[in-house]
Amino acid sequence: MQMLIRVFLVLLFMCASWVRAQSVAPLPVSEIAPGNFVHYGGLEERSAANLGDNANIGFIIGNKCVAVIDTGGSFAVGERLRTTLRARTALPVCYVIITHAHPDHFFGAAAFRGEQAVFVGHQNLPRALQQRGRFYLNTLIRDLQDLARGSEVVEPSLLVKDRLELDLGGRTISLTAWPTAHTDNDLTVLDLSTGTLWAGDLLFVQHTPVLDGSITGFLSVIERLAQSAPAHYVAGHGRTDQSWKAALEQERRYFQLIADETRRALKSRRTLQHAIDTVGVSEAENWVNFELFHRRNVTAAYTELEWED
Amino acid sequence: MRSRLSWLLLPYVCVFAFVAPALANEKAEPDPAQSTYWEPIRKIMFGDREILDGKDVLRVYLPLRADDASTVPVTVKAQIDQQPDFYLKTVYLIVERNPSPAAGVFHFTLDSGRVQLETRLRFEDFSHVRAIGETSDGKLYMSSRWVKAAGGCSAPNARNYVPPALMGKMKFKFEDETIKYDEPALVQLMIRHPNESALAGDFDPSKVARFVRSVVVSYAGKPVMTAEVDFSISENPSFRFSFVPHEAGELRAEVEDTHDQRYMQTLTVSEGQKLPGG
Repeated sequence: MQMLIRVFLVLLFMCASWVRAQSVAPLPVSEIAPGNFVHYGGLEERSAANLGDNANIGFIIGNKCVAVIDTGGSFAVGERLRTTLRARTALPVCYVIITHAHPDHFFGAAAFRGEQAVFVGHQNLPRALQQRGRFYLNTLIRDLQDLARGSEVVEPSLLVKDRLELDLGGRTISLTAWPTAHTDNDLTVLDLSTGTLWAGDLLFVQHTPVLDGSITGFLSVIERLAQSAPAHYVAGHGRTDQSWKAALEQERRYFQLIADETRRALKSRRTLQHAIDTVGVSEAENWVNFELFHRRNVTAAYTELEWED
Repeated sequence: MRSRLSWLLLPYVCVFAFVAPALANEKAEPDPAQSTYWEPIRKIMFGDREILDGKDVLRVYLPLRADDASTVPVTVKAQIDQQPDFYLKTVYLIVERNPSPAAGVFHFTLDSGRVQLETRLRFEDFSHVRAIGETSDGKLYMSSRWVKAAGGCSAPNARNYVPPALMGKMKFKFEDETIKYDEPALVQLMIRHPNESALAGDFDPSKVARFVRSVVVSYAGKPVMTAEVDFSISENPSFRFSFVPHEAGELRAEVEDTHDQRYMQTLTVSEGQKLPGG
């Protein structure tokens, strides 16, 4: 009997190790500028097959420590990112920066809990996480079932109100908190030593841009971003060889078209449903996942612009 | 004072609050008659009353997928005219799997014209949406639609903070530039209000969630649309409905929220006058 229990325990241990090994296969990363490692998430919808690996995430390695920028859409993706990071450096992770409160960016954060890192976010991030965390976790479990395990909301302890510089040792990164645009808690990270800008979801390439904040705000933030000239950049979703300005311009054109056509629909006394069915449909061929996000963007634009006088 | 409806559904609010984490996983449309969510709601709202097939009395229109879980437009259209001997008196709008399933109870009169009601709903999950019409003879008729929940980062919560100075600001928007006497006019009432959900993650249960609970609209002193509503209605609640003006008069909306704040908006309307909306 004792023997049986031992065999059982050994098997259990093997299973656990196997499951663990499965979940910590490293993620492919590209070093787009010295010390800046990006993992490009898939463009498809979240599923159990991709574990919520749907956003661009990565890390910057300094001489003293590492900053992680976004953590993927589940604990499993966060673990894989951590494994990737550990294959490249033994330096401690001092900061985990969450660019905004969307589940594809923050649900991997718990994987970095053991790293003693400081979790960093926009000053509005805690409110957004409090309001939506429960709902996001429920839908993650709905989509990933058991594979969602370990995923949780991690509250940031260092908040950015306007600008904040962080020292990674021989390398300074500059964080900017933006006014409401993609969300009301967008944060970007600029690695000053290489001129690499991690734009979070203020920039979408290939993937349909998503509006969850303010369309007028997004357009004015794009205008401000267009005045900068980073040597390298990382979009929140998708990858491209286009220049920073050209990529931003694609996004600006999309939102400007939605704003113009929505205002026209409002002026012609059209309903929300009519606007959803007609506004911006000519953009369909320019973007991936248009069916999943475009109508939602029009909804957000309409319900904002209908209060304009 | 709480509305009677809220009291009636209170036990269900509690039950569903616990059930909610076990979200449904259906992507295909299930049979509305087989729904296990519906039976307890039906019992508490309608008891043993018979509910007839509604397709000849009222229909409900929604997109198949809730693209934005915070704001899903819904339209209920009557298939019958408002005649003195037979008219649509009440429409119950139910999002079966929301924590508080009864989104609203809307009352109409002969001065409402053929009923057309549009509003915007929040969705916590995949759900059947049911519109139940009660006609003037006391019979109940039901139509329903299945709505798939949104994916990804869409959430039912408010998108933006409503500054206190704007709270309760209202607008009327007409479908047409002018009205004609004795013909129905479609008008949208917009209310600036966060319509807080009592079940949002950050909500302190010792407080009373602040949402619009009652909307009373009259024209020339006669009611045209009266509603008891809930936080299944989106932030900045919007209601579009019709009324039949027989002469010049005042369109008046009186709104009350759960913090006992009252807001009022009026507009004097006459034939030929240019109406807001464009």
